[in-house]
Amino acid sequence: MNEDLEHRPAKRQRFFVDSSVSSPDSVAGIGHASLPRHCPGLDDRETEQHGSTNLPETPSKGSAAACGLTSPIDGLSSESPRGDATEHPLTASRLQNGTIQPATSQAAVHPTTKSPLSNGFDVDLFTSIIGETLPTESLQLIQSASSNNVERAVNIFFDGSWKKPAKTNFGRGTPTIRQVLPASTPSAISNTLSTSKTQENSAEHVSVLRKQPAARYIGAFGVGGWATRSGLALLKHGDPVNIERARSQPVAKRGRGGKLFTNNRGDVLTRFTNASGQEIGRLPHETAEWVSTLIDQKMCQFEGVCVFIPDRVRVNDTIYLQLKCYLRKEAFQRGPFIGTVDDNRSMGLFEEKESAEEKNLRLRQVALVKLFHEINLQPTSTNPTTEKHKRDGLLRAAEMAEQYDGVKKENERVKSNKDPNDSSSEEDTAELEEDQLDTLYRKAQSFDFSMSVAEPAATFKMNLRKYQKQALFWMLSKEKDKKEARERSMHPLWEEYTWPTKDVDDKELPSVEGIDHFYVNPYSGDLSVDFPAQEQHCLGGILADEMGLGKTIEMLSLIHSHKSEPPPGASDGMNSVNDLARVPTSYAGVVPAPYTTLVVAPTSLLSQWESEALKASEPGSMRTLLYYGADKSVNLRELCCAANYANAPHVIVTSYGVVLSEFRQFASQSLTIPAAHGGLFSVEFFRVILDEAHMIKNRRSKSARACYEMQAIHRWVLTGTPIVNRLEDLFSLVRFLKVEPWSNFSFWKTFITVPFENKEFVRALNVVQSVLEPLVLRRTKTMKTPEGEPLVPLPKRTVTIEEVELSEQEREIYDCIYTRAKRTYNDNVEAGTLLKSYSTIFAQLLRLRQTCCHPILTRNKDIVADEEIAAAALDATNGLTDDMDLQELINRFTASTENAETEDRSIKFTAHALRQIQTESSGECPICCEEPMIDPAVTACWHSACKKCLEDFVRHQMNKGVMARCFSCRADVDARDIFEVVKHPLSHSATPMEDFAGSDTPLAGSQPAPRISLRRINPLSPSAHTSAKIHALINHLSRVPPNTKSVVFSQFTSFLDLIGPQLSKMGISHLRLDGSMPQKARAAVLAEFTKTEEYTDEIIDTEDETPSRAGPSTSKSRNSEPSPSVLLISLRAGGVGLNLTVASNVFVMDPWWSFAIEAQAIDRVHRMGQLRDVSVTRFIVKDSIEGRMLRVQERKMNIAGSLGLRVGGDEGDDDKKKDRIEELRLLFE
Amino acid sequence: MALPKRIIKETERLMAEPVPGINAVPHEDNLRYFDVSIHGPAQSPYEGGIFRLELFLPDDYPMTPPKIRFLTKIYHPNIDRLGRICLDTTGPPALQIRTILLSIQALLGAPNPDDPLANDVAQRWKDDEPAAIQTAKEWTRTHAMT
Repeated sequence: MNEDLEHRPAKRQRFFVDSSVSSPDSVAGIGHASLPRHCPGLDDRETEQHGSTNLPETPSKGSAAACGLTSPIDGLSSESPRGDATEHPLTASRLQNGTIQPATSQAAVHPTTKSPLSNGFDVDLFTSIIGETLPTESLQLIQSASSNNVERAVNIFFDGSWKKPAKTNFGRGTPTIRQVLPASTPSAISNTLSTSKTQENSAEHVSVLRKQPAARYIGAFGVGGWATRSGLALLKHGDPVNIERARSQPVAKRGRGGKLFTNNRGDVLTRFTNASGQEIGRLPHETAEWVSTLIDQKMCQFEGVCVFIPDRVRVNDTIYLQLKCYLRKEAFQRGPFIGTVDDNRSMGLFEEKESAEEKNLRLRQVALVKLFHEINLQPTSTNPTTEKHKRDGLLRAAEMAEQYDGVKKENERVKSNKDPNDSSSEEDTAELEEDQLDTLYRKAQSFDFSMSVAEPAATFKMNLRKYQKQALFWMLSKEKDKKEARERSMHPLWEEYTWPTKDVDDKELPSVEGIDHFYVNPYSGDLSVDFPAQEQHCLGGILADEMGLGKTIEMLSLIHSHKSEPPPGASDGMNSVNDLARVPTSYAGVVPAPYTTLVVAPTSLLSQWESEALKASEPGSMRTLLYYGADKSVNLRELCCAANYANAPHVIVTSYGVVLSEFRQFASQSLTIPAAHGGLFSVEFFRVILDEAHMIKNRRSKSARACYEMQAIHRWVLTGTPIVNRLEDLFSLVRFLKVEPWSNFSFWKTFITVPFENKEFVRALNVVQSVLEPLVLRRTKTMKTPEGEPLVPLPKRTVTIEEVELSEQEREIYDCIYTRAKRTYNDNVEAGTLLKSYSTIFAQLLRLRQTCCHPILTRNKDIVADEEIAAAALDATNGLTDDMDLQELINRFTASTENAETEDRSIKFTAHALRQIQTESSGECPICCEEPMIDPAVTACWHSACKKCLEDFVRHQMNKGVMARCFSCRADVDARDIFEVVKHPLSHSATPMEDFAGSDTPLAGSQPAPRISLRRINPLSPSAHTSAKIHALINHLSRVPPNTKSVVFSQFTSFLDLIGPQLSKMGISHLRLDGSMPQKARAAVLAEFTKTEEYTDEIIDTEDETPSRAGPSTSKSRNSEPSPSVLLISLRAGGVGLNLTVASNVFVMDPWWSFAIEAQAIDRVHRMGQLRDVSVTRFIVKDSIEGRMLRVQERKMNIAGSLGLRVGGDEGDDDKKKDRIEELRLLFE
Repeated sequence: MALPKRIIKETERLMAEPVPGINAVPHEDNLRYFDVSIHGPAQSPYEGGIFRLELFLPDDYPMTPPKIRFLTKIYHPNIDRLGRICLDTTGPPALQIRTILLSIQALLGAPNPDDPLANDVAQRWKDDEPAAIQTAKEWTRTHAMT
């Protein structure tokens, strides 16, 4: 790319070598200065003015050359009648070496003032310059108009404005712009602006822009045009040519090199004519493309001079021209950002399609960038990071945009539009990617450890760690950020250029007082003469500390430490409140809520916010309001208004859902009675905080839009992952924060999305960085202080992978499904339809993964239900069930013995036998002689043995083809009717014991016999089956350290459905949290799970920030009803926000495609506040898809870099496909 | 091959608490192979005789019952000429060596010609029990009392 760009000037340079005096070597560096040296004739304008036809080498006549005066005339926009002439001097000005003198002075002065000639005005010099002797009268006029400044006088002379009636119209009859070199005597020169519109425009600005000329020279370049006519001596070397834009033909579809855009952009023809207005030829398409834009958009004026033309011209001959370019004043007069206007546009803004306005903006941008490249004008000051790859990236971005609109349907991606080097550089960029992301985040995380700290207000009761105080300092400075206080740094997107002081011929150009520089935003094509300071209206930011560093606490400290004070006099204190003074007058019906911070959080976190807020505050210093569900019947307008200082809540906590629904309501109502609504949108909050703000990462989602519309002075965003999938995730945050100009999507898209998608990673990421840097504070848990201390001394986290072996039955099912999936995969690989059937394969993969958890998950739900019913029916007939309580059985049989006397001996025996089990099961196994039995099991004839021995024996007999019989009594044994004897630990028997007490069994009454249940080893009901993983889990759970809690994650809620009952069977009390539960229920579950924090109160108190926890209640709650020690939670519901630090054991039942998600879940437990070492067990089925998934995870980790932040989503489609195939390959081969 | 715990335990117990009238000693070089001798029960045709048997525990013992054979010639309706025993109690794994030997001893005391293995002997037993018993005594004297 770069290479190519560098080549272009070199090529052009060859045009001029022949006629050149100087060496071509000097060209490369500073084009605008050196290039023209090869065409010395070009600027001998004075000869042209006098109608002479000197050859290039001929020395120019007179000393006028010294001034390098040229007097181009703006083409006439219309047949301007002489009558108008009086008005024209105001606006018309004269081009002189790129400088057009302001017309103001003339207009003001020339009719009136007359001053003596002698007054410091060198008449001789003037005369020699203009090469003409003027009547005294004229001289006086000029002199007075120029305020005795020779230079200005010369200008005035040549622009003819001193001569009141001197308007001559070059009636060429074209309403569009022309730039013509003066072809007649200076007196005939008149300048008008091309259109009457700009005329008015500039008229308005004249006074303001006193110092700025209407057009100012910035450089020149050579171009080979092609002749459209043939003939002799149409033009000579050194002749001026007019560059015209004319639409003489309908849309031109020509265009070289099959450029696509010719087709849908319309005509870009740019012709050049000779002095008499004859069309000689046209600019080549590549040049015309951007020249036409610059002319059309009134950015530039061009002056052409013929450098070389064959004596006998034939159509399509090449004519070499040199074009001088002048930036027009109008170019600087636009608003700095169209974006500011755009901002209030309707949501249609966010459509993919770009508006005509956006298109113009883009065309202009491209044209400017190309122009600067052609004239080789280098910025004198620029943001070093954006500098390197900038230009080509800009151009390519624009071309990408080009491809976006309209051409989408054409499948063919026009490679010719791209740089030929592109294919080779693609590899480079692919490699770069990882580095770049790393760099990006490293930058965004380059946290200054020496940052000052701020102490929170006294009402804030928790102790902050140092880095949290630093966060507070940072946030305070963001909120109190005043424009004046900020150092003036240049906006990173702008570049500073110095106006050339010499033109192509090395002649001095007049400088304009006070304006040595101009500024260009190559990303938008905006120009400015004013210093574009980096502005930030946003009084907030993104707090992106990694999960567990205490974002909530940091935010709460801010809430305490920066609040608006109550008005001294309750009546009209409004203006005395500093912050309120800055409140923009918001639209009708919105009242300020100066004391209130609104927190928007995911539903599951609402109660956590509320309780944390209270916990962190001195009693009475914090009023919170949970604005959710039925609780939101308050009128916020009244509650939070400035006058209600005493009662206004400090913090209102609400959910994204509420924001959305209120927004809908508000949107429909606001037109009619805005004030009647008392909801979130009727007030302007002091501060709005979006927690887990990646909730609004989709800028098109309604929630996101609703959030944008919220009114607040300070806007904050909390998220551990500012970028979840794509760079645009970040946009939504920026949009919410109202950071100009990034909150304009087209702006964002052009400078970030498009380049990124076009693999301009460096550039896009650099820009992202410049957006992020001032906005984001991010620390990670892995950060170390300069002293090498970890930021947060979190306890150790050990992750172990537990390989689980499937049972034979499960393995069979798994293998079967695997074979099928593999076949599908192979078939598709052969047919090359891998991606088409991706979803099919994916579905099969899902099955496989489910099988690893529990085979039943893959089965048809109806069939399973039928089996459940059948099983129940069967049980009803033989009096056995999958799960029986031994004591109940005994009771049952004992009861029947008593009633029926000895009628049925077998019953009597049974009763005896069952009692036997209670003791026997702890005895020796009759088969293997183990004592006590390992996992005792019984037959339906109530004989006990080790479960394994029993199963072995049954299998042994089956294999021999004989009917299974009891190992002891040789009664027939139904393999289904083998029961495990499960003893429940005494500690958990509270509830069952109560049952016992009800029944008057002597056993139960006298001694606390452990509860025993008999449970079918192969339950009839499918869901009662355990699975290898559940088994492993239960094993682990029984081994966790005492008094610790465990969290069990699975991505399949249906798997949790199965785990739950199994845990119950084992007497393990547990809770359950998943996405389907309403908020209140979730809060209740969390509260209950967290309750037994009190178990370990003593430990926690030493370190916890909240020392006050009721002591006496501790023992009570411990004894009365221990809170469940296990929480079953769905990976997705538990992935965000939750604080589960009560637990210290984590079990991840099944792997997710990316470890980041699992890590996030683990971090619910391993986060600030966690005081114990955390042990994480990930269950992975041996020799299964799960093991392969780990490999996919590893791969993803590599792609996303080491930070666990994924940016995979922004890869091109091709890459995504490649990725998928690669992943499938990993999974199957 | 390591000896299953059950065999070890059974062997130990046989040694520690021998059953009266029964002696079972494993071979030193093959602990699954036992030399067994059973005293003929009192008041049976086999009284006074000491019957030698061999007992072998197969690999899948106790799933498969032990293989037992009389080495001493014996005249018994449930024991054939080769010394094999018809013993339905050899079946379930819950029965240990000790119990099996006990039941063999019991079988000597109570022959069951209705479930014969040696058909000719059984027939004789049914047709002329005293003669059959007499023969049994003779066989005992000649084969089991040396």
